[in-house]
Amino acid sequence: MRFTTSMAIVLALLMTGANAGSQTQRRVVRVSAERFAFTPSQIVVDAGEEIEMRVSSDDTAHGFRITGTSVNVVIPKRGRGEVSVTFRAPEPGRYVFECTRMCGAGHHFMRGELLVRNPSASQSRK
Amino acid sequence: MKFDGSICLAGFLCLVSIQASAQTPIVDASAPTTGPISGYMDFHFNKGEAEDGVLDFHRFVLIVNHSFSPRIRFVAELELEHAFVEGLEERGELELEQAYVDFLLTRSFNVRAGMLLVPMGIINERHEPPVYMGVERPFVDTFIIPTTWFENGAGVFGEVGRGFRYRAYVMAPLNALEFSADEGIRNGRQKGSRSDVRNVAYAGRAEYVAVPGLTLGASAWSGKSSFLAPRLDVKVRVGEADVRYRRNRLELRGEFAQVWIDDAERLNLTVGQLTGVQPNIARTLRGFYAEGAYRVWQRGAGKDVVGFARYENFDTQFRMPSGYIPLKEFDRDAWIAGAAYYPDPDIAVKVDYVWQRNKSSVIIAPNGLNIGIGWWF
Repeated sequence: MRFTTSMAIVLALLMTGANAGSQTQRRVVRVSAERFAFTPSQIVVDAGEEIEMRVSSDDTAHGFRITGTSVNVVIPKRGRGEVSVTFRAPEPGRYVFECTRMCGAGHHFMRGELLVRNPSASQSRK
Repeated sequence: MKFDGSICLAGFLCLVSIQASAQTPIVDASAPTTGPISGYMDFHFNKGEAEDGVLDFHRFVLIVNHSFSPRIRFVAELELEHAFVEGLEERGELELEQAYVDFLLTRSFNVRAGMLLVPMGIINERHEPPVYMGVERPFVDTFIIPTTWFENGAGVFGEVGRGFRYRAYVMAPLNALEFSADEGIRNGRQKGSRSDVRNVAYAGRAEYVAVPGLTLGASAWSGKSSFLAPRLDVKVRVGEADVRYRRNRLELRGEFAQVWIDDAERLNLTVGQLTGVQPNIARTLRGFYAEGAYRVWQRGAGKDVVGFARYENFDTQFRMPSGYIPLKEFDRDAWIAGAAYYPDPDIAVKVDYVWQRNKSSVIIAPNGLNIGIGWWF
């Protein structure tokens, strides 16, 4: 009984630790969308890093897609909250994110860049 | 021991499931989209002082888009102005304002060709009714920058660094023989209809958008515009700078634009000989405005009201060629104050009042009440 209890405590600590670990590693990036720009329009992350993007709009509904990933969501209109996307940063490289919902004359200007770095290379630079 | 093993297995599975959920991106494919057709509409009531009120379905605009591939895309904007086309502009116009193909190559370098909006000022490329204050577009973006200014051409666009954007196009030029004293270069737009390209024009715009809420922009246009009178050397240049800043409930805008027309003296003589009417075209036109808007009610959808005030100064006779006297009724300024109610972020119900003045002691600029509803879909 005592052994079982101690195992349960160890398990609980493990789970808590795992949760805490994922929370501390997750990076939250806030992105604002407005005809016809995302701010920021360039986001730099490390490969493998867990990213939570919280995207909101200052006007109409926009789309938000990161090419080369499966991230593809609709950003609700102003005053209707934000959309949250959690994903793990892919292989190092440059990934375009863009509006996928026609939002006006400058729709195709609405593009940004997710710059994914090699974490070892970025650490060596530090 | 068996029990302990199962606990360990359960713990391992829990960890794996946490990891898996963190790796799986959220995909919301069921969310609503606009489909292949979108657009905007503008319905107005205008009542000038000592004039009858006018109800006008000002703009009916349909936008279609198509992706040939993720990198090759097409957009077109077809606009019907004033609801009815009879062959003369006074009744209505059917315009192909945009129809281009984009070749999206990299973030910093993309190619565009077709019917393009001239990248000039705040409104010309960003003219959906819910995004600007006032029932009608600003005077400066009408009489100095001839919004909506569109023309055949091709060029490049992109973004470099953190928030530096550019557009650079080669386009068909203006037709200087259609310039006038009251509307400046506005009637010189060829509008992509068999545009004469004996000479070409160069248009460019740079923007800085890295700071949340702030947009700084500058635009330039230059083109020899006397193709129908080749002996003239009417080079036209347009320069513009603008700023938009939004913080919390406050939004501020400012714009300055100036037009230079070379060889304006001989242009006046030539147009006078061709038409029998002295056009009194200036050699410099200038305009600027400042606008402040405040969201007085911000309680979410349907509870959204913005009040605004704008001062505009615009003079299509700012500097005259030697021997010509400016017509003072075209040295104008205006105060516009009003409000917009948004039952939905894509619908704006607007009301404003315009106090106009000019420098003429004979001709009075009329004040006016405007009420409108504009929507994007």
